[in-house]
Amino acid sequence: MKFKIEKETLLQPLQQIIGAVEKKQTMPALSNVLIRATEDAITFTATDLEIELISQLAMIIDQPGEITLPARKLLDICKSLNNNAIIQFSINDNKALIQSSKSRFTLTTLPAADFPSLESIDNVQSITITQNLLHDLIDKTAFAMAQQDVRYYLNGLMLEVSTNVLTAVATDGHRLAYAKKEIDYEAVDIKQIILPRKGVLELMRLLNNSDETVTLNIGTNHLQIQFNTIQLTSKLIDGRFPDYNRVMPVELDNIILADREQLRAALMRASILSNEKYRGIRLILRKNLMLLQAQNPDQEEADIEVEVDYNGDDIEIGFNVNYMLDVLNVCDSTIIQLALHDSNSSFLLSYPDQQDAKYVIMPMRL
Amino acid sequence: MTQRIQTMPTQLVNQIAAGEVVERPASVVKELLENALDAGATDIHIDVEQGGIKLIRLSDNGCGIHKDDLVLSLSPHATSKIHQIDDLERVTSLGFRGEALPSIASVSQLTLVSRQHDSDHAWQLDMHNSVASAIIPAAHTPGTRIEVRDLFFNVPARRKFLRTEKTEFAHLEDVVKRMALSHFEVGMTLVHNQRMVKQFLPAMQRLQQEKRIAQVCGPAFIEQAVYTDFSYEDKRLWGWIALPTFSRSQADMQYFYVNGRVVKDRLVTHAVRQAYADVLFHGRHPAYVLFLEIDPASVDVNAHPGKHEVRFRQSRQVHDFLFKTIYKTLAEVRPENNNSHDAGHFSSAINVQGEASAAAPVPATGSACHGSHYQTSVPAANQQNLSLAIAEQQQGYQTLFHQARDLAGSQPQSEPEIPPLGFARAQLHGIYIVAENAQGMVLVDMHAAHERITYERLKQASEHAGIQSQPLLVPVTLAVSQREADLVETQPTIFQQLGFELDRNAEESICIRQIPVVLANSDTEALLRDVLSDLLRHGSSERIHEAINEVLSTMACHGSVRANRKLTLAEMDALLRDMERTDRSGQCNHGRPTWIQLTMAELDKWFKRGQ
Repeated sequence: MKFKIEKETLLQPLQQIIGAVEKKQTMPALSNVLIRATEDAITFTATDLEIELISQLAMIIDQPGEITLPARKLLDICKSLNNNAIIQFSINDNKALIQSSKSRFTLTTLPAADFPSLESIDNVQSITITQNLLHDLIDKTAFAMAQQDVRYYLNGLMLEVSTNVLTAVATDGHRLAYAKKEIDYEAVDIKQIILPRKGVLELMRLLNNSDETVTLNIGTNHLQIQFNTIQLTSKLIDGRFPDYNRVMPVELDNIILADREQLRAALMRASILSNEKYRGIRLILRKNLMLLQAQNPDQEEADIEVEVDYNGDDIEIGFNVNYMLDVLNVCDSTIIQLALHDSNSSFLLSYPDQQDAKYVIMPMRL
Repeated sequence: MTQRIQTMPTQLVNQIAAGEVVERPASVVKELLENALDAGATDIHIDVEQGGIKLIRLSDNGCGIHKDDLVLSLSPHATSKIHQIDDLERVTSLGFRGEALPSIASVSQLTLVSRQHDSDHAWQLDMHNSVASAIIPAAHTPGTRIEVRDLFFNVPARRKFLRTEKTEFAHLEDVVKRMALSHFEVGMTLVHNQRMVKQFLPAMQRLQQEKRIAQVCGPAFIEQAVYTDFSYEDKRLWGWIALPTFSRSQADMQYFYVNGRVVKDRLVTHAVRQAYADVLFHGRHPAYVLFLEIDPASVDVNAHPGKHEVRFRQSRQVHDFLFKTIYKTLAEVRPENNNSHDAGHFSSAINVQGEASAAAPVPATGSACHGSHYQTSVPAANQQNLSLAIAEQQQGYQTLFHQARDLAGSQPQSEPEIPPLGFARAQLHGIYIVAENAQGMVLVDMHAAHERITYERLKQASEHAGIQSQPLLVPVTLAVSQREADLVETQPTIFQQLGFELDRNAEESICIRQIPVVLANSDTEALLRDVLSDLLRHGSSERIHEAINEVLSTMACHGSVRANRKLTLAEMDALLRDMERTDRSGQCNHGRPTWIQLTMAELDKWFKRGQ
């Protein structure tokens, strides 16, 4: 295998796939990138056996072939070269030789046959949507995913496809984020998949806020997302996601309307004196007034008043301030609506007059 | 042909009973020692040959047996210790079953010689091959002597299972040590193959008692142990518990006595472990010598023929009493009392050593600790001088020490303020604080010490605030056994107090609706399973508190000063003062020591000053 390539051209695909390469693993092949060169194209593949990233470049190859070599080192070498440097790449005696003007590097290789490939996906349903739609959907929900929870099915993002609607839901058992988008799709039946956390994070890295399209190929055990030159394949979490409809609170008779930015700033201020670990703060509702109270183990206290639009009962409720801040950080409206029934049941955050994104937070008993 | 039912011959009955109580020479010694102690002996001599397999001869100066009772004493179910069922309710003697002597007699060649204090000579009874001889006059001082020869001569099956002489003797010696600790007032001598192995002098004073403990547990134990004595209602717990730094890799140095009886009990072990939970290094076992005195009526000792296990009428209270006493004692170990204890012990050990060497030519172990300490710290070439120099050295130290103590004694009046941990002088490599106090030099592991202080503060704060709970948005369903589910249903308050809210879904399934906030990120399912099994078995569970403490401990670790942080003298002093005020400040959260004292005497030893 032999080819010549410009530094910037090589750097981009390497950076796109490097996320799949785990720093520590037991299989040596997994720290490598698979480079496969045909006559007129070259592909770079990285995998951790859960997700697989393939990036493709169209270019003329001097001599086709395939080989794997250490991904992180290749990337670091590539980054360190001068801009506009031309890289000469060749394989000699199972060693990869990289040359660029006066620098020469020799890297160890492993045969391409040793590189694990994901099983092929079957039972595919394909949906084509714009990147910004998918980006928005994930951005609004991904923060609520659980992290290394024993309930493995919570460590991911649930995507639900039904006719003309794509829904994303994430929860860690204490709060839940829900968002939906209208798409153009005729579904046979409602399908739910759970995309694992790592797949979600890598997907977010690849998505940009453009009108370009991506194709989601949903198989029985895999989700494959096809970009223009990149392909992300992720295994799915095999489990049943909790029924989010049952979690949505009903009987929301007390409705508060608040300025999002103002409320966010007030919560940030109160959170300084909340307990570092539990992050509990108390919210006291009076007519057109919201009072935030925080207290830490050193008995220091914060009291913050926020003007809101409220005509309901006098209520006191405790909650984890981080949960609320997470929501306010991803919302994009100026006004946010808070709805609750009493101080013991969950409350709902949403945009006034629309149902596209909803957030449920469980109170804390302080 | 069917077998007819018939009564077993007495000999066979005794041999079967022997299977329960007489397992090996060590168990014979245990039974005989118990008899001697019950007879009120104050001096017991044990003579053993070939690990006890050949001969066990035990003589005491107890009350003796009446001539007419000699035969009866060897017949089953005959005893002078209890007479009626009420006596069994409140047994004060060690034995009471009337089984030991006949059992031993049935599996060995036994000779019993006894003289009561008011008779003018002794009487002897032989029981050879299970046939009692005539009673003949014999010579013996007041008391009883029992000779057990050829143990298991008629039970080849048992004999085959005996180990080597050495092993059997080790077991036997262990029994003698255990019993020696239970009765400080009784002198005991153990001779093996004509060689004196152990001698315990009667120990009425605490110092003598500590010396006896040092003989059994090694001098290091007593140096690092704290004495505790605490009474509540009808219960009194006293004894020595080792500081967490003196932990063992095995649970082999745990001596527990209930009313003078050696006991190995699950309840006791559990209570002690819990008390040490916060300070003991992971996977280590505490060492202790503890005596529980309790109304005999509230203990049932008739639970097991070997009597290792006891049943407490109010096991819950006993458990709490043990736990609280030990927990409190450990918590209260502060630099100050520690030092005074050490200092007192050091000087007293030398005094005791003087007496002991005058009284008997036994190598006194009391001073061995200082000797061994010394050996490790000087080059090998100097060791030859050691034995010659030791007496002088000790005298030197003694005077030195008196001076030092006089100095220390006079200082408080002139210069009232030298705190126990002294004043910081410097910081070593960003890790240790070097401080100077009245005794000498103190080294403090800065991170470990600060970690403990932060941890104790967090614990107090969380206790103060009570448990806050977080209801779950998505309740967790847990498959459990029916008994566990019953427990959840019948005793919801236990869980509510701990911050949980549980519901029963079905026969074998429960639902977690709410958990303590602190544990929001931990594996609640596994925790709850452990809690349920604890509750079913012990009736209580500390696991949730442990889990909470673990979270706090991690917080404390992150919230404490790390190594390589330069501290000013004022900051270091503040840390030392905090340590003096904090409970359990001798250990960090993981059981590692936080500080050590190097006394002037120890430093002098290194530099051979005052020799």
